Order: sequence, then C-alpha cells, then structure tokens
Amino acid sequence: MRNDEVSTETERRASPAGPWDDSALAEREPFRDLIAAGELKAVGTRPSIGAYIRDIWRRRHFLWFDARSRVLTKNSKHRLGTFWLVGKPILDAAFFYVIFGLVLQVDRGIDNYPGYVIVGVLMFRLTTGALGQSANLIHSNRSMIRAFSFPRASLAISMSLRELLTAGPIIVAVFVMLMIIPPHEFPSLSWLLVFPLILLQSLINLGVVFIVSRLAVSLPDISFGVGFFSRILMYGSGVIFPIERILAHHPAAYVVITNNPLFILLSMYRSLLLDHTVPSWDQWLTVALWGLGLTVVGFLFFWRSEERYGRE
Amino acid sequence: MAGSELLGKETSVLVDSVSLTYQSKTSSPSGGLLSGLRRGSRTQVQAVKDVSFSVSRGEFVGLVGRNGSGKSSLLRVIAGVEPATSGTVYARSTPTLIGISAALIGEMTGAENITLGCLAMGMSPEQVEDARPGIEELAGLGDAIQRPMNSYSSGMGARLRFAISRAAHPEILLVDEALSTGDAAFSDRSRRAMNDALDDAGTIFLVSHAAQTIEELCSRAIWLEQGRLVMDGSAEEVARKYRWFAHVLAEGDEEKALGLLNDAYAENRRQYD
Repeated sequence: MRNDEVSTETERRASPAGPWDDSALAEREPFRDLIAAGELKAVGTRPSIGAYIRDIWRRRHFLWFDARSRVLTKNSKHRLGTFWLVGKPILDAAFFYVIFGLVLQVDRGIDNYPGYVIVGVLMFRLTTGALGQSANLIHSNRSMIRAFSFPRASLAISMSLRELLTAGPIIVAVFVMLMIIPPHEFPSLSWLLVFPLILLQSLINLGVVFIVSRLAVSLPDISFGVGFFSRILMYGSGVIFPIERILAHHPAAYVVITNNPLFILLSMYRSLLLDHTVPSWDQWLTVALWGLGLTVVGFLFFWRSEERYGRE
Repeated sequence: MAGSELLGKETSVLVDSVSLTYQSKTSSPSGGLLSGLRRGSRTQVQAVKDVSFSVSRGEFVGLVGRNGSGKSSLLRVIAGVEPATSGTVYARSTPTLIGISAALIGEMTGAENITLGCLAMGMSPEQVEDARPGIEELAGLGDAIQRPMNSYSSGMGARLRFAISRAAHPEILLVDEALSTGDAAFSDRSRRAMNDALDDAGTIFLVSHAAQTIEELCSRAIWLEQGRLVMDGSAEEVARKYRWFAHVLAEGDEEKALGLLNDAYAENRRQYD
C-alpha cells in the first residue's frame, strides 16, 4: 500500500529516519538491498554452529592464555602464591589419611583404605571444582562479556582447561601421598594411564560446565542446588566408602550408582593406581561416551542461547 | 536531497524499530517470602521504545538524554550484548562497546589484561605484540601497567579498556561515557584517537548526559527521553534544545519542560512532512 511512496521515502532517507515511519526500515530501499547482499548484518544474533566453532578455534590463543594466567594468579593474594596449587591437595590428602588411616583405623574390607580415600577425594574434586564454578561462570565474567564480543562458550572451555591445568599438581599430590603412606604403592606402568583418564574426566566436566552455566542464566537459584548435588554425587560415586557394597541388595539403586560416570571414573583410577591393573575396555568406552555425549549436548544447549549471555 | 544512492552504500548502522523491555521485580516490603515466584509481582520496564534511525560512515553520533532515558540501553542493543525485545539492529561489522566498569580481570596486571582483551577480540599473539606499544601509549598508565588492574582507579581502568578496544581498529565504536572518567590529558588523547577512528572510515556512538560533550565532539545527536527518540539532527541544534529542556527541568518547571519536549518532537517530525 506504500508502494507509490517508495521514491519519496528513499529521498527522505537522506535525512535521518525517525520513529514515526510506520513500516520497517529493513524492508525499504536502499537497506533491503544492503541486507540482502550481506553488507548489513543483524547484530547480536546467534551465528550458525559452524561459524561459531570456527570463531572459537580462532580464539584458541585466548582460551589458553585465559586459563593459564587465571591458574597462576588465583593464589596471588596469598604469601606462598603458586605453592598452594600443590600444597592444598597434599594437605587435603594428609587430612584424610590422618582421619581415616590413623584416627578411625577403619578399612571397610579394603586393602589400602587410606589410598582409596586419597584417590577418591582428590580425583572427585576435579569434577566438583568445575561444577561449583560453573553456576557462577557467566555472572563472574560479565565485564569480559560486555567489553568484548567473542563466542561465550570460550569461557566454559577456558574454565574447564583451567581445571585440567590444576589437575597436574593434584595428580602429583596423589602420587606422592600413595608412595609415602603405608601400605606404600610404587609407580608402575599402569600409573601412566591416569593421564588419558584425566582427559576423559575433563571432557565430562566440560559438558557439565556447558549445561550448568547455561541453566544458571535462566535460573540463578541453581547455585544453591549445585552444592547439594555435589554432596549427593560424593556419596553416590563411592568417594570415601564403597557405596556399591552397601547397596548391593538394592538392585535399582545399584544399577544407578554403578552406571554413574563418576563412580566408573573413580574405580578406574583406583584400579590403575592401587591395583596396578588396566580397567576393562568397556569401562573406557562408557566414560568416553559419557564425555562425548555430555559435551556435544551441552555445547548445543549453550550455543542456542548465545545472544542471551550479555543481558543484565 | 542529493546523494541518497551514495548514502545507502555508506550506511554502517541501521536501527530498525528497536524496543527493549526489562522484566524487573518490584520488591514490596510486605511482599512475603515467595513473592518472587508470582508473575504478578514483576513489572515491565520499557527502556527503549520503537527507535529507528540509520547512521553512515564517518558520522560521530551522540546519544543524549537524562539518566534513565534509555541511551545506555540502546547502546548495548546496538553493541549486540543485549538482544532487543523487538526490532533489529543491522551493522556493517561487529560494533565494539567501551563501557565504564573498570576491571576486566582484576587480579591480572594491566599488561596481561591487554593480552587477554586483544586475544578475546580475535587477534593473534603476534598482532597483540605489534599493537601493545600503541595501546600502552594511548592508555598512558606508565609503570602502573605492571600492577594488578584491581589497584586502578576507575578512570585508569576506563582508559586501559578504551585503548585496548581501539587496538582492533573497529569500524564501529560505541563509547559509554568513558571520556568523562579520564583526566584532561587523557581526554585529549582519546579525542585524537576517536578522530583517528573516524578516519578509518568508521562510525562512533558516544553516550553522554552532558550536552557540552556531545556538542564539542559529535557531528550528529540523537535525544532520547523515556526510551523514545525525541530529536535527531545536527549536534549543535539538538544539544541546544536539550540543554534548554534540562535547564527548565532543573528549575522545577515540569510543565514548561514537557512543552519544550513536545515542541522538539513535533518540530523534528515536521522536517520530514
């Protein structure tokens, strides 16, 4: 109905447009052509998944620098600084040894119970560490998000990378404590397989970080739930006692527990470190599938809301 | 008018019927524990109401208006960090927003924040090192560049952030009152940097509630009041009308201020009829 007015409208465009124009500017000349030619692009819309992944790849240096420097500056306000990267896990492990090995002197029918607890607590922490920060991920990085336009999934990836970097000192603490504490375990070839297993655990963490940080944007209250969930996970994954023996007579609960990826991860760490045996291939496969599945699903879930993360 | 063809080619930002509505909770003291769950206790705040305009390359546009007039909200929509509730912003390249909050990562030094910011904008490590001397010079922080950023004053932080954002030579630069936080020496430097940015065939948006800043720096100004576009024209003209309005309002004569507002709105419309 405005067709006859097009030419005058075009001339008006030479002056700034105003709110009284009741048809959309984008449908008019010359803007329609510019948009169709791709010269003018809509701002703040979610890119295609391919472009998004390319964008993240272009920022690989950013991911690495961000993760590394945040690990190094995390303890900058403490006197001993980066010593705490190794010091804290060693202190934690020593604490659990004192409580379970010396004070309580329980073994729950396990050969090396102090070793069982140390491996459980410290390796479990790699996942709860990532889980605990993920609810706050978008909020705590809002000044970065407002200042620069970059794929927001980079933040989740860089945080998982950060947790992976702190896994180094943690695994050193585990090795040292297992050798020091009786009954002493000494390095064998199977210990080397701990490293690929950490990578698989990080993949699981990455998927969880994508999902939880995305959920926390819609529902900030989730940060309370995360702490509670971590505790359930702690008992449900056999971190400090063999839950599978206690639940052996409850078939349904037993199936849930033993298919929990963290439970499988911890029992794999223990067989590598304490029993010096290589876990069966189906355990490796299960953990890898969990990692891939969570990461792919989580990534898509996170990407679908890309335009929302800058909101106040 | 001459050159509408040319003008279309040079369009760098098109704001098309943009509205922005916030959902906000009204907290009444007697609201009860679970009042946050009730839908009725949320009110809608319309920050931007159906604003449209187009901006060409080489234009330096001031967004002027009182506190809460929606100018910063509009700037965030143009930057793409806040999605519009309705309407679309089109741009020739991704706009770069420079806000006022000081620290990026507070525990890191200024120098590390330069690296982080540049890498986040998609530069390669080599490009970062090439850009570093220019950034440090523009920020003008001296030895403070080696200190953690949370030891900076807000003005120092804004300077560093401005310098970092400028390093990627963005075609479209959005500045949110960053200038007013710098001292005299810096605002001189940043003015020069903005002129350079214009020379890069760029477009700059500057948000300010001060008519004087807009008048001194911008070529064009857009006046917003309660989320609506009141007036769009040359910086001197808009700044003059806005200053008068603000003055009358400050004296408490709301009726007269409203009259001025309506006059400006009507006059702005008339030039197109």
